[in-house]
Order: sequence, then C-alpha cells, then structure tokens
Amino acid sequence: MNLILKKDELNTLLTAWRQDYEVYAPQSLQKFTHFLPLQDGAEPAFNKAHNTRVPPKALFLPTSEALLKFTRFGGYEQVPTETAPRLIFGIRPCDAHAVTMLDTVFEQERYTDPHWQARREATVTIGLGCHEPCQTGFCTTVGSGPFNHAGLDAILTDLGEFYLVETLTEQGGRLFSQLDAASEMQAAQAYELQQAAQAGMPIAFETEGLKQKLDQNFVSPYWEEVSRSCLSCGVCTFLCPTCFCFDIVDETQRNERVRNWDSCMFRTYSLEASGHNPRPSRVERTRQRLSHKFTYWVDQINQIGCTGCGRCVRYCPVGLDIRAMLRKANQLPSEVAHA
Amino acid sequence: MPDQAHSPYLPIPMHVLHAYYESTDRSLKTLELSFDNPQDARDFFAAFNPGQFCLLSVFGKGESALGVASATWEGDFVRFTAQKMGSVTTALHELKPGDSLGMRGPLGNGFPLEDWKGKDLVIIGGGCAFSTLYALTKHLHHPSNRGDYGKMTVIYGTRTSGLCMYKQDIAAWHQRDDMEVHQAIDVPENDWLHHVGYVPDVVKEVKPSPVNSVAVVCGPPIMTKFTLPALVELGFSPEAIFTSLEKRMKCGIGKCGRCNLGPNYICKDGPVFSLAELNSLPADL
Repeated sequence: MNLILKKDELNTLLTAWRQDYEVYAPQSLQKFTHFLPLQDGAEPAFNKAHNTRVPPKALFLPTSEALLKFTRFGGYEQVPTETAPRLIFGIRPCDAHAVTMLDTVFEQERYTDPHWQARREATVTIGLGCHEPCQTGFCTTVGSGPFNHAGLDAILTDLGEFYLVETLTEQGGRLFSQLDAASEMQAAQAYELQQAAQAGMPIAFETEGLKQKLDQNFVSPYWEEVSRSCLSCGVCTFLCPTCFCFDIVDETQRNERVRNWDSCMFRTYSLEASGHNPRPSRVERTRQRLSHKFTYWVDQINQIGCTGCGRCVRYCPVGLDIRAMLRKANQLPSEVAHA
Repeated sequence: MPDQAHSPYLPIPMHVLHAYYESTDRSLKTLELSFDNPQDARDFFAAFNPGQFCLLSVFGKGESALGVASATWEGDFVRFTAQKMGSVTTALHELKPGDSLGMRGPLGNGFPLEDWKGKDLVIIGGGCAFSTLYALTKHLHHPSNRGDYGKMTVIYGTRTSGLCMYKQDIAAWHQRDDMEVHQAIDVPENDWLHHVGYVPDVVKEVKPSPVNSVAVVCGPPIMTKFTLPALVELGFSPEAIFTSLEKRMKCGIGKCGRCNLGPNYICKDGPVFSLAELNSLPADL
C-alpha cells in the first residue's frame, strides 16, 4: 500500500504514536546521531545521509544488560525484560536487515533468548530508505540494498516535500491508516528514485566464489597482510549491526550477573584458563571476523553476515577498509572443484 | 509473550552433597551436587546424555564449564571434577557440603551412544579431561546398558599417579571381567604396576583392534593431537574416532560467539565431534 506523508505532518504523527509507543528516532548528540527516545518538540535528525553511529541492534541487545540479581542468601532473582511497546522510526534498511539476521541467532528453536525475543515482539520498525548513496556503504554488494524491506513494518522514500510510505505489514498499515493514498505518478517517482539509489551504489568486491576462497585460504599469508595495521580496538565489531558476541560477568558491586558486548578482536575473548589461546594475535582474530561474516554465516543461513552499512570502514581508527580487504581476497588462489 | 521464566541463562538452584579432593596435590576437587527442587532433577536426568557438560555458577564469581562425571543410575546427584585454575574454580574448591550454587545444563550433544550400539569401545583419556569418559564408563557399566556394547577397553593416563582421578573405582575396574583397563603415568614411580609413558605411545602398545570398534579420546590438546593419528595408523576410520572439544565459553547455548569452530559452536553443536567432522572444519583450536 503506497501512502503520502507530508513532511510538515510528520511531527503530528510522531506525537500521536507517542500515546501508544516509546518512539525511538535518530537524534543528534555531540558529533553523531543516535537512536534515542523522542521527547516533546524534538525532531528526528535525518540531515545526514548515513547511519547512526551505534547500530539500532543496541535496542534489542543492549551494550550492558543484567541477566539476574543476586540475593543475600546465595540465591538470585530474575531481572525481567521491559516489554513496553516501542516504535523505531527512521531505521536504515541495512540495520533492519541485520536485525533479521540476528533473529536467527537469538530465536533458535532449541535455545530462544527471552530478552531478545521480548524486545523484538514489543517493537515496530519504520524504515527510511537511502536515496543518496552513503560513502562507505556497500549494501548492494552483500545482498542488501538502500530500499531493502527485510525486518521493516513500513518504509519511507524521501520525495522532497513529502515521504512516500510503503506499508509492509498489517501493523505498519495501522500506523499510517490516516494517510491518503499516493497517486500513480508519485509511486512511479518513488520507484524511479529507488532504482537510481540502487544503481548508484557501486559494487565494492566480488562475492561470487569469495566464501570458497576464504575457506581454502584459512592458512595463508593473506591474513597477516590484511591485519598488520589493526590495533585490536574492536570498534569494527562493536559498531557492526550483525555482530552479537557478548561476555557474561558477575558484577559484585551491583550484585548482578551482566552480559556486555564483547569482541572477537580482543585477545582475552578466546583466552582459556590454561593460558592457551586459539586466536593469540590479530592475524587469527581478523581471520575470525572476516570468516564469520563471509563464510560461517553463509554456512549457517546461506546469507553473508554483513549488510554493508559501512560503519567498520568509517570508524576504523587506522583506516582499515573491509572492502579493500575483500578485494584482496578476490585475488587469492582457489582450487576449482571438478565435477 | 516469551517465557522469561524459562530463560536459558537462569541457573538451576543446587547444593553441595559431597566435596572431596581427587588428586594428592589438591589441584582437583570433586563436587557431587544435589537439586534443591525435585522437578529440576527429573528434568535434568530426562535430558542428560554422557559427554554433556554444565555451567556451574558461584554467584558473584561467575560461571565455569565442566563436564558431567556421573551416570544417571548412580543417584539423584551430578558429579563434577574441577581443576583449580581461576576465580570461579577457586571458589568451587572452597564450597562445603550444604553450600548453594547454580548449574545450567545439561548442555551440548554428548556421545552418540545409539550409533555405537553393538560395537567395541576404546575409551582413551588423559588428565582431568577423563571426567566425561568416567561418566561414559559408569553409564556403560549398568547391566541394562552393558549388553548393548561389545568389548570395552579403557586407557587412562596422567602425569603422576597422584593426579589419577576416581582412584578407588578405577582400581576396582581392574577386577572386572567385562572390561580391560590400562593406566599410565608419564614418568616412572616406585610401586607403579601399570604402563609408563605418554598416552599416544600406550595406545600404540595396547593396539586396540579397529574391527567394528569406535575410539573416543578426551585429553589435553597435545595428547589428542598425537593420539588421533595413532588411531588412524591402527586402522580406525575418521568416522569411528570421536573426541570432545573445549574452548572458552560464556553462554553455553550458541549465542555469545566465542567457542565457534568454523560455523559450529562447540557448546551447542559439540562438544563431541568425530574426526571426520573435525577434518572438515578449520583448524581454529
């Protein structure tokens, strides 16, 4: 269903939604934009053509979260997850797509994560398509796109004076039920813009055969070459919308067992009690990060575990660029399987 | 609404039934734990398979992954042997009978006992990793299980005789006529009547027959590394050799990420893998 939302009516709509939902939208904070609860009079910050710094996965998997609270006599109490209805407005398609990938981790049949699930079920997501290509993104290379629908209840296309709203689920339809239908001309205009945006994203590296090359070159000087300038700071993983690793620690001062985001780029991540570490240097850790995204995810769900948001490229303090790393991987030797 | 009461992160409330040192140097301690709630015990034993592990919680210290060292028929308790290494295992060593702790599990796949029916079993262990093999052997000793399997050979090596676990039981195994036991220590000691040498060499010396047999190996990485090829050399096929792996773990349910071996998580898809499976996975151990 295609509807028209005039930009000067957006605030009225957001205010109306706030009756029923906690509305999260990108807002400026210091030099970056963040998904924060919308307060009275505040407007979403869409002035930049790119993503918030911290991906909205943090709204489902908080950077730090109590799993249980210890009681005085050697027992514990559960810390319930809040399940008040939430609406995320203005999530970019790459980030929404990434959340659906994380669903395959946290909502597995055998071990469902109730914290993740509760937040997912309580949340409606309205996306904003990217009509201007972002500089570091490569969504179309990895099977996502500037107007990808995965994980969204509705998606907006910016047409200047107004947004064209495509409702994608029943819930999304209900949120915009007051709006007028778009004319055929408007829908065509949006379609054209979407196609142009899609075409405007350059292909950053070759994905055909990439998994096989990385698999076959698990032991290769390649990994040393691409990890040489890495500082193991972990920003590429912390700000990655598909990274989900966490640590579980007992915080005695808070009397809580807490899970915190963790990173495979850290030395202690895989360090064992015996002192043995399967990934002792940046070489093995870089290999783990790239292999997880470009081979293990493919084995698990037949999708590349990257949506091309470009954060790891934008925020790396030494300018390591995953696109260049993978272009280099494209040059690796590979054995051709004989049928 | 998701069922938060059954969160896989919530430990089962347990208490210590027995706690005793396993090794003469007091580095290994065995804890036998009992369930606070009878329903938890029923759920646990209905799900338990030898070779599985649990995460033991000392509240305020953290969690530690330990293999289960008891069989279901032994009673309403779960046995673990912990080597004192870090803060959690140190806290576990300090527990006394009656003390409370938490336990999550059983976790992982355990040994494929159904597939092994009708076969001879060669059980090879080294050091404190023998715990899950002890659970396996105990399980197989039960009269209702023993008949399902053929000849049973246990090879168990430790650095010194003092580090040998479950000493009384293993001494009694030598008297059994339904199994063969080979014990080994790394360096000679007075009054030691068994093998002296490293486990891979003892395996070569014992020469278990690969005909209709499976071999299962649990030990420190260096032992496993040299024992697996020794078995291949004896004629065991990669599909008939099994090992139990370990990596650092936090969640135990395939979410926290760190114990992956290629696309598999050791906690969820393992810890037991056949050599054939391992050969198809990246060498990331």
